Amino acid sequence: MTGHERRAAAGNVRIGVLSMEHVHARSYVPLLADLPGVDLAGIWDANPERASSAAGGAGTRAFGSVAGLLEQVDAVVVTAPNAEHRDLVEQAAVAGVDVLCEKPLATNVPDARAIVDACERAGVLLMTAFPSRWNPAVRTLRSTIVAGGLGEVVALEGVNTGAMPDIHAAWFVDPARSGGGAVTDHVVHLADLYRWMLGSEVVEVYAVANRILQEHFDGVETGGLVSLRFANGTFATIDCSWSKPRSYPTWGGLSISAIGTGGAITVDAFRQRLAVYGTREAGISWPDWGPDSDRSMLEAFVDAVREQRQPAVTGVDGLRAVEIVDAAYRSIEAGEPVRVGSAGG
Amino acid sequence: MTATVGVAGAYDRRTEAPVDGRRARSNDRSGARAIRRGSGGDTVSAQLRAGIVGTGFIGETHLGAWTAEGVTTVVYDVDSARADELAGRFGATTASSLGELFEAVDVVDVCTPTHLHAPVAIAAAKAGRHVICEKPMARTAADAEAMLDAAREAGVRLLVGHVVRFFPEYVAARDAVLAGQIGDPGVLRLTRASFRPRQPAGHWFFDHAKSGGIVLDLMIHDLDYARWVAGEVVAVECRSAIVDRPEAGVDHAVAILTHASGAISHVSASWAYAPPTFRTAFEIAGSHGLIEHDSAFTAPVTPYLLASGDGATTTALADTSLNGDPFRHELAEFARAMVDGTPTRTSAQDALATLRLALAADQSAHEGGRVVRLDPAEAVR
Ligand SMILES: NC(=O)c1ccc[n+]([C@@H]2O[C@H](COP(=O)([O-])OP(=O)(O)OC[C@H]3O[C@@H](n4cnc5c(N)ncnc54)[C@H](O)[C@@H]3O)[C@@H](O)[C@H]2O)c1
Repeated sequence: MTGHERRAAAGNVRIGVLSMEHVHARSYVPLLADLPGVDLAGIWDANPERASSAAGGAGTRAFGSVAGLLEQVDAVVVTAPNAEHRDLVEQAAVAGVDVLCEKPLATNVPDARAIVDACERAGVLLMTAFPSRWNPAVRTLRSTIVAGGLGEVVALEGVNTGAMPDIHAAWFVDPARSGGGAVTDHVVHLADLYRWMLGSEVVEVYAVANRILQEHFDGVETGGLVSLRFANGTFATIDCSWSKPRSYPTWGGLSISAIGTGGAITVDAFRQRLAVYGTREAGISWPDWGPDSDRSMLEAFVDAVREQRQPAVTGVDGLRAVEIVDAAYRSIEAGEPVRVGSAGG
Repeated sequence: MTATVGVAGAYDRRTEAPVDGRRARSNDRSGARAIRRGSGGDTVSAQLRAGIVGTGFIGETHLGAWTAEGVTTVVYDVDSARADELAGRFGATTASSLGELFEAVDVVDVCTPTHLHAPVAIAAAKAGRHVICEKPMARTAADAEAMLDAAREAGVRLLVGHVVRFFPEYVAARDAVLAGQIGDPGVLRLTRASFRPRQPAGHWFFDHAKSGGIVLDLMIHDLDYARWVAGEVVAVECRSAIVDRPEAGVDHAVAILTHASGAISHVSASWAYAPPTFRTAFEIAGSHGLIEHDSAFTAPVTPYLLASGDGATTTALADTSLNGDPFRHELAEFARAMVDGTPTRTSAQDALATLRLALAADQSAHEGGRVVRLDPAEAVR
């Protein structure tokens, strides 16, 4: 029986979570437990203790094996360390289970392509987790651009900087498991948004990176600037640095300045926040009161699974973003702009 | 009030030179060298007579600053009606030729269109006058070198108005960096966003051969600041919308710099915004801290008046009305340098290095974003 046939019998979409290692899983799990029409069917993690504590907190089952969980669900959310996405997605595909995979889809282009191919071959849905596509400010910018409100777009500048994620988990800064540093972590969101807004593909990438920021750490790159050229002639840049110190009142942010023949629009996606001043020890925090993009993204995934149609963000979108990251690393190595995709090898 | 040299003097705590107003004043006599006394007050700069060449947009700004400093001013412009009008308004004298202006002043302040900086500056130096020149130093590196040579041969001082070094927010951020508050600078993002200058078609401004376009005119401010904070630049990549797609008519350019220190900078300059936008922003991320500034969020007074019009001037200039005029700080510091040789926070060599960087960025933009490398040794030559 395929996952889809099982669902037809059940009614609610049954979703499992593969790994709690990505910090985003901590956001997705309670949302999945709460979404109407969804059964959070279980959680697997390489560490059984982590699985059972997360499952206990969410009122669901912990699974000791991936295969065991895959038998009980229609779809999975893959939130393992980046390098482990491929193996888990391939298992899900073979089991006929639809997949929402955390970004970046993989740590290299062959793995990302294998993930897309495996899902295509098995006929399961594959969505890449780019929640910023559901951020209302970002959506407003995109719909303005698509409606021609900015005229011809000539340039995009974006900033997606944040705290160093080693505060969440050590694997984020272990290149064998994460694929790299700030460039891996932060380029994909804006690269994906730009492709989506422009309806054009990146043809050339120039990138620079360094390890000056976050002096407590010596390893992957902590600072990076990326310049992209699109097939339609638009150029775009991304500051992907882990530049927020520990004292910063929030995790980071995402902003875009869009420049066109009609003027300019600036978007600060997480501007809807409070400033809260606590005790000296608690310091200052900026809790976000804007709409929850993670929730909207999960709803979109569940709808796609329920209706068995292509999700709004595909696996190919994830693959394209990985190709851009790959080109950025090749450019950093070469000190020159490089072509993206097959032209770049 | 003319006692304003001390305002600029309050600036320097840890940079090029310890400068303080009282000391500068006590040095008045020793520095008098070629300077003849003007009829102004008793400040250092008030001993000077300044001659402004080019009384356009920035010439007017300088005239206001010199006047506030109590400096006697003479102005010259090929458009004599414009010069007369401005002189009348500020109580300055008009010269009928460059030669007449040189005769009447101690320092020549070059505010002509960019491609005409070099000929005026060189003529002034040859006439034995100190020279202050607006940014960019010149349209080409060869012109700038000729200016340096002329000043050296004549034994006069030459200073270039990179005025961002006199804006309090930029000075404060650099001071915080120098004080070690954020550690070593690692990633800089410098932004200058405004509207297309409202000059008639055919104006020198829109002629790349004369102005150098947005990179030499606008981006150069932040290119200079990037060097000031993070040191010399060894590689630059730059994209410019007007170069890539001239038919779209949008002036917007972005450069990515690699500094010799390993720091990297993102520098954005725009004339694509709606009037009266003039927004400057920067972020300096260091090895253990971060500095943020955005002029969009630092206006202490926000009028919500039912006035008509957008309030935009011909060319945008930062509103500095609450912080003292940075042009005045700049000219006062330069004037003191000319009176008594006090070091300044910027030199002509410095301005030449910034010009070379801007020319390299412009070249990159014209070669489709090719990475142009710079020799840092050349910058300090
Ligand atoms: N520091 C800043 O923030 C800033 C701002 C604006 C302009 N500038 C610089 O100032 C310079 C002038 O710019 P502007 O906006 O004032 O231009 P503008 O066109 O308003 O003024 C130029 C003036 O020079 C006069 N002129 C032309 N040729 C001359 C000559 N041979 N002799 C005497 N006068 C002559 C013109 O008649 C005009 O009045 C440029 O190099 C520009 O880059 C600097």
